[in-house]
Amino acid sequence: MSEITVNDKYDAVIVGAGAAGLSAALAISHSTQFERLREQGKEPRILVLCKLQALRSHTGSAEGGIAASLGNVEHDDWHWHYYDTVKGGDWLVDQDAARILAEEAPRTVISLEHDGVAFSRTQDGHIAQRKFGGHTADFGRKPVRRAAYAADRIGHQILYALWQQCVHAGIEFAEEWYVTDLVVETGPASLGTKIKNGIANAAEDIANHAVDVTDEPGVQGIVALDTRSGTIHSIVTNNVLLATGGAGRLFHTTSNSWDLTGDGMALALKAGLQLEDIEFMQFHPTGLGHTGILLSEAARGEGGVLRNAEGEAFMERYAPEHRDLAARDVVSRSIMAEIDAGRGIPDPLDPTGPKDCVWLDMTGIDAGRMNTALPQVFETIRRYAGLDPTVQWIAVKPTAHYTMGGIPITTEGHVYRWTKGQRKEVKGLYAAGECSCVSVHGANRLGGNSLLDACLFGERAGLSIAQAVFSRKNTTESSDDERLCEANNLACERVAMKRLQDMKALLRSDTVCTPSHASSPSTTNSDAAQTDISRAEIRTGAVTASTDSTADNAGHTEREDNPYVLLQQLGTIMDEALAVRCDGDGIQSALDQIENDLAPRSEDLIAHDSGASFNQELTAIWELRNLITMAKAMLNASSSRHESRGAFHRNDFTGRDDDGFLAHSMIDQNGSISWQPVHIVDMPPKQRVY
Amino acid sequence: MSAEGIHIHTRQSQTRVENEPAALNKASGTGTNSTPNPAEPTAAGLLTLRISRFAPHTGASQSQAQRSGSPFATRRSNPFASRRSPFAARTSTNRIHGRHWTQEYSLRVHGNETILDCLLEIQRHIDPTLAFRHSCGHGICGADAVTINGTAALLCTSSVAEYAVHPTGKRGTDASGFRRTATENDDGETPQANIRTPQDGCDIPDYGIIEIKPLAGFTVLRDLIVDTDRMMNQIRSLKPYLESAGHEDHVDKRMGEEHDMVEHLQRPEELERYERLTNCISCGICEASCPVYSGGEAFVGPAALITASRFINDSRDGQSTQRLQSIQTNDGINACQSIRACSRPCPQGIDVGEEIWRLVTEANERQ
Repeated sequence: MSEITVNDKYDAVIVGAGAAGLSAALAISHSTQFERLREQGKEPRILVLCKLQALRSHTGSAEGGIAASLGNVEHDDWHWHYYDTVKGGDWLVDQDAARILAEEAPRTVISLEHDGVAFSRTQDGHIAQRKFGGHTADFGRKPVRRAAYAADRIGHQILYALWQQCVHAGIEFAEEWYVTDLVVETGPASLGTKIKNGIANAAEDIANHAVDVTDEPGVQGIVALDTRSGTIHSIVTNNVLLATGGAGRLFHTTSNSWDLTGDGMALALKAGLQLEDIEFMQFHPTGLGHTGILLSEAARGEGGVLRNAEGEAFMERYAPEHRDLAARDVVSRSIMAEIDAGRGIPDPLDPTGPKDCVWLDMTGIDAGRMNTALPQVFETIRRYAGLDPTVQWIAVKPTAHYTMGGIPITTEGHVYRWTKGQRKEVKGLYAAGECSCVSVHGANRLGGNSLLDACLFGERAGLSIAQAVFSRKNTTESSDDERLCEANNLACERVAMKRLQDMKALLRSDTVCTPSHASSPSTTNSDAAQTDISRAEIRTGAVTASTDSTADNAGHTEREDNPYVLLQQLGTIMDEALAVRCDGDGIQSALDQIENDLAPRSEDLIAHDSGASFNQELTAIWELRNLITMAKAMLNASSSRHESRGAFHRNDFTGRDDDGFLAHSMIDQNGSISWQPVHIVDMPPKQRVY
Repeated sequence: MSAEGIHIHTRQSQTRVENEPAALNKASGTGTNSTPNPAEPTAAGLLTLRISRFAPHTGASQSQAQRSGSPFATRRSNPFASRRSPFAARTSTNRIHGRHWTQEYSLRVHGNETILDCLLEIQRHIDPTLAFRHSCGHGICGADAVTINGTAALLCTSSVAEYAVHPTGKRGTDASGFRRTATENDDGETPQANIRTPQDGCDIPDYGIIEIKPLAGFTVLRDLIVDTDRMMNQIRSLKPYLESAGHEDHVDKRMGEEHDMVEHLQRPEELERYERLTNCISCGICEASCPVYSGGEAFVGPAALITASRFINDSRDGQSTQRLQSIQTNDGINACQSIRACSRPCPQGIDVGEEIWRLVTEANERQ
């Protein structure tokens, strides 16, 4: 294992390579500010850093569509989209943000088309659009075809087109790098939260070096693990965009990929910042029974119908107007109500199990149409349920799908702290996409709005960064800049050293030997083993056996805990406590289990292998700790909201309470909560019925 | 389980099965793991996964290679010790030094569980050190391509039943009905010898052994994780981005004023010419299946050609002539030998070989 190897400097670092991160990168690169800087010969450096390889981001899983009032197949109006978004979010939506979302949506979609997205087309060659839950014409009067789609692979299409344009723009990527720390000097306003590990010390160092940065505290850089080489890096930068996606892996039944562990949100919490409305988690109504794999809303958009055990199309009772295409939370709760009333069905793969599913009947969809419009849905059902949806009903259940809340940002992408009734921006810190909360989704996101949010507000954040980089490059004297960099460098390095110690401890290599010979104790043994088997190896071209050192094996059996087991237990606890609905007792019980059991066990974890390169268990430990941080924030926020709104439903407070809770919860990692008023501009709260 | 070499780990994993059946049963009955479908013969049964593992040596591989007296230095000069084609000059220079071994894990699974489910189960309950890429779990991210029983496939779209020796199958045959006459591990043991017959008096199916190796033709970095840089650089080298043909012919005239607000027009039949090609998930399976590519010869690879074809066939793109020219090189379409091994395994259903053949035809026609 090597020591910290690189102290690189960038003008901006983007964490995450999904729709939000890539949109931001492109916006920065194409901005007029960057073009001018290039003309001046001051080529700015930006870096996109992602914990997966590029093109593996979860954006690629989005199936149904991206909403925009293009009006390509029938008349549409962005005001209707604006209204639907606010209503869908149960009036917890900041209307200034939702207005931007709806008004700018057509431009965003067309820009994606220019980037190369292979949208499905109308006969006359325009971008095709389909119905999606909650999207209506005439302010709720009737469903409207607003979701632009590409068969049922819109996310894949967008992810690829954006990445392709990033290749065109020559954007630099660091793939399979995992960000462990956000180095942010949160300033005098929040001295209380500054007392954590090296960051406070770093601030003192800055003071000692007599560099005047205290007037405007902000981002100093990040620390990241290059998982391939297994080395910790400190990267100095004044602008960081967090675009790390959601935290669906908090739950066991989830449509989210294995990597959605809320890392960006946890980084913000650990840096002393808050999360907004984090109690709002959307459960998609149609997860494939037992696996949680998503069946797109397009399945219902194309004519699929939910049925209970008696075969009744029950959504007619719950949402007479929009039935199966009512907003997702309405459908999810309706499914749960049917299940609670004993009209659920067991998963056919587990006939003796609990009756926690309902049927999705797609037999009314023409087989040819199914093939052209829903190939992915068809394939998922065939592969993971072994069924043919053109003739068989499919068991579905709600699955954790989207994190509505997140890192609070302004409509320009700036992260802020809510303090003393004001938004106080953190200089140089930006966020976009699912990890952020600009509050366009409020208490419940409409289908088709997430890709839109990620691309649109990703781009806006990018433009803000471009402006910040530009003014910095043009106003800061280079000598000042160097001194500032030096200070930031120092701060980052301190955090990096601390992280390195942490890593060594997790890999058990700190006490064993010097870093450069981390594996030497086992060398003798394994060399012997290698010699023994070398004959077999030459003959077969493969080594047939070896072992870790015996010491490793002894340790192995002693420590049964590993992050994967704890991750599973955490998911089960969260499923029980918060999935679709919750109550005070359940929340408290989950908090107790996490505080008293999971959290301490997660702190005791040690990796079972001491090699640092691609040590997935090492990253999993950090991811698990992030999830635990997230889980506590989500549970605490849930426990503070004594009402039911949108996707958040409390069995002990079943009504919406606008007097008490028409406000955004702002929670920090200590669980202290404050409330920020909702921006109500055009539409006073109304009852939300479908 | 008789081979000397795997003795230690075999014993270890078996011990776990015996000592903790409850834990294993519980785990395989929960979560993302599927339970048996009554319509299919997928009762819980025993499966042995034989997994190729690799641990890189700590420190730079270069210095390791140069160290005299290293037991690995000799391996490099021996072409038969290489796990790749002896022609693969490229890969042997890129080779990372470390420890290779195979390890077997026994677990109780259902036939319709995916191999990914099995590996996650191993990570959770048997061996948390096993490393493999995976993300979405349902075949769209393309991260988890490996070699399963000699075939390149995605972990998350491959079920146990698909690859296992079927419990009712003839002994000594593999999943495809062929009987093996020799194996790579032909060191006294044969896989057949390891197939457990159903135990006395009970009908627990035995799924036999499934072999999992890293994707062929790629440098192994750790366990099942391979280096995909070469593939991605090749894709990048062919300008994999839309370069608009300009707006005169393709753009909707109805709102001429604002360029940004106007989409290219593309009729459904124009879309159909390339739509399937956009579904490529860059998993590398076609490359691993291609004997030319995985053999290490100079070839830009089927994945890069598919990406090129995606743009050549897109009516919005204005560079198709240049694109066609750029692939008419010795390491471009000329390197393809029309073996078509790349077509069938594509998880996205792209007929890769046919597409490359079309490129060849089109290039010839334009000449």
